[in-house]
Amino acid sequence: MAIVVAAPLAAKGDPLPTLPPYAGAYQPQGMDERGLWMMVDEDERLLRDSKAVVSDPKLQSYLHDVVCRAVGAPRCDSVRIYVVRNAAFNASMAPNGMLVVQTGLLLRVRNEAELAAVLGHEFAHFELRHSLVGFKQKRSATDVMAWAGVAAAGAYTYGGTGAYNTVRTAQSVQNAAFGSIFAFSREQERQADLLSMAYLKASSYDPRCFADLWGRVMDEADATARGRRQRSTRYDRVAFFATHPATLERATYLRELAIAMDKSGEDGRARLDAAMVAWRPQLLADQIKLNDFEGTDYLLGELAGAQWTADLLFARGELYRSRGNPRDLVSAAGFYRAALEQEPSNADAYRGLGLAQMRSRDPAAADSLRRYLAMKPNAVDSAMISTLIQ
Amino acid sequence: MLLRLWVPILASVCLVASGSPATAQEKSGIKPGFVLPQRSARILLIRPTIKVGAQSTGGMFEPNADWTAQAKENLAVALAAAQTKLGNEILIADEPIGPAATTMADYRALFSVLADSVIRYQFFVGNRLPTKKRKDAFEWTMGPGVADLAKGTGADYALFLFNEDQYGSTGRKILQAFAAMAYVSVKSGEHKGFAGLVDLHTGDLVWLNADLAMGGDVRTPDGAQKRVSQLLKNFPGSSQSAAPASAAK
Repeated sequence: MAIVVAAPLAAKGDPLPTLPPYAGAYQPQGMDERGLWMMVDEDERLLRDSKAVVSDPKLQSYLHDVVCRAVGAPRCDSVRIYVVRNAAFNASMAPNGMLVVQTGLLLRVRNEAELAAVLGHEFAHFELRHSLVGFKQKRSATDVMAWAGVAAAGAYTYGGTGAYNTVRTAQSVQNAAFGSIFAFSREQERQADLLSMAYLKASSYDPRCFADLWGRVMDEADATARGRRQRSTRYDRVAFFATHPATLERATYLRELAIAMDKSGEDGRARLDAAMVAWRPQLLADQIKLNDFEGTDYLLGELAGAQWTADLLFARGELYRSRGNPRDLVSAAGFYRAALEQEPSNADAYRGLGLAQMRSRDPAAADSLRRYLAMKPNAVDSAMISTLIQ
Repeated sequence: MLLRLWVPILASVCLVASGSPATAQEKSGIKPGFVLPQRSARILLIRPTIKVGAQSTGGMFEPNADWTAQAKENLAVALAAAQTKLGNEILIADEPIGPAATTMADYRALFSVLADSVIRYQFFVGNRLPTKKRKDAFEWTMGPGVADLAKGTGADYALFLFNEDQYGSTGRKILQAFAAMAYVSVKSGEHKGFAGLVDLHTGDLVWLNADLAMGGDVRTPDGAQKRVSQLLKNFPGSSQSAAPASAAK
């Protein structure tokens, strides 16, 4: 990113908060908090049994371990983690400790430290009781808006000399109150970022990773925008309705905090790779279905780094074949072949290769598809593929 | 944009409520020709969705755990009494575990979509789908797989309930009074719900009742009784049910 914004953090003192005291099995206090928890407890029952949740005890316990390594051992036991099959990059936290992790996040984090930073951010929302505080702020703001609306209506109805000014003032008050809801949300996100950095400081992880993640998020969004012929988002400006600080601002202050911390640590990449190895083909397939050629191509390149592994080559073949221009089919065939060089037992690569060759009118197609059928005789699409080679 | 905070409640900051959206709409439907077996129906009550709270001055829902707990208790008693009067037996299933829990979650989700579709594409006359335009048509089904819910219970029907109450707070009422002085109508409180009966053998929806403006204070036993009688309006086998699907206007 070439744009540079002014440093948002004051240099004086330690900008990082101290970790709040922790007591286990927190129970909601007061009418508002008990009401909120009641609602999300009910939502959690539905989510727990939903088919959208990835059911894999090993993955579940791995993520739990990451949260524990990130925020500390007794703290982490207060959350329940649900992995939801959604290819978009996101995670969310409910006030009662329900932590929802989307598979798109798991695909994008390059190492365990990045994952820990995001999960720490979500945990910070929980520990700072942000849902409750945000709910109360929103209620106050909407109360003000409602009264300002009545004041404007009254001035309009009863007229008088100051009516015009009253209506204008009431509208300004409404706008300010509405804007305050989003400004408050941005402030909460900033607090969660800071507390996440404080967790990282106390953990074994390298704190510089959080900013790295945001850098790649911006680049991927740029690639997506380019592919869709859209103007890219401005990362250095805060929009009125933005619920989060601008991504560049986050990347900048997180980078500054990490540098000020002057701490190195592990990135835990090997552990993440080992935990995700069984899931990566599925996550890559979901990503390709997003129909985001440029963004996905960027993402695959980032995941590969210097080393294109067989699963990434196969995914790239699938991506190019799905766009399907004659030149893409040639590229796709090349990626499938490269994947097969590394992993000759990959039947699906023969399938992709054969289909790409067939659309390119390459007579070698039948042979590739025959190999696919021979390697995977019980494939769900075996009947359909057989019709292609008769 | 990214890494969001879970916000379970949507603020509705509409100051001026539109007149009465429910008037143009039908409230209940019954499958043509459906007759509930007299005095022998065993009805499985699916975990009802009940939310009770206040409505803030600005119109936000403020969930209240105590009121909700009271309402759950009161509605359960009132429902059992109402069904006993009709001669039906209400079965309350144990909370499912394992694969049964997933099946239950699936069908609860499916029912909420189904009820939403019926309300949107059948009860709202101006918005009817072409296949729902025939007079007295009420053809909706969840599929025979729903029978899995009845395993081991012996139930013939499943009853789904949804109920949401927002009681206008003092602030909302004061706002309403001041707004009225400025000739602006502000709605204080919201009381909506729907109930549906599904044949567990065929999966067909045999009766659905949806009401966006109900009476009865669910926080009290008497009010809950009134509410249940409104939720179960035109319930098969009750006196009003002789009326055809389009009666509730």
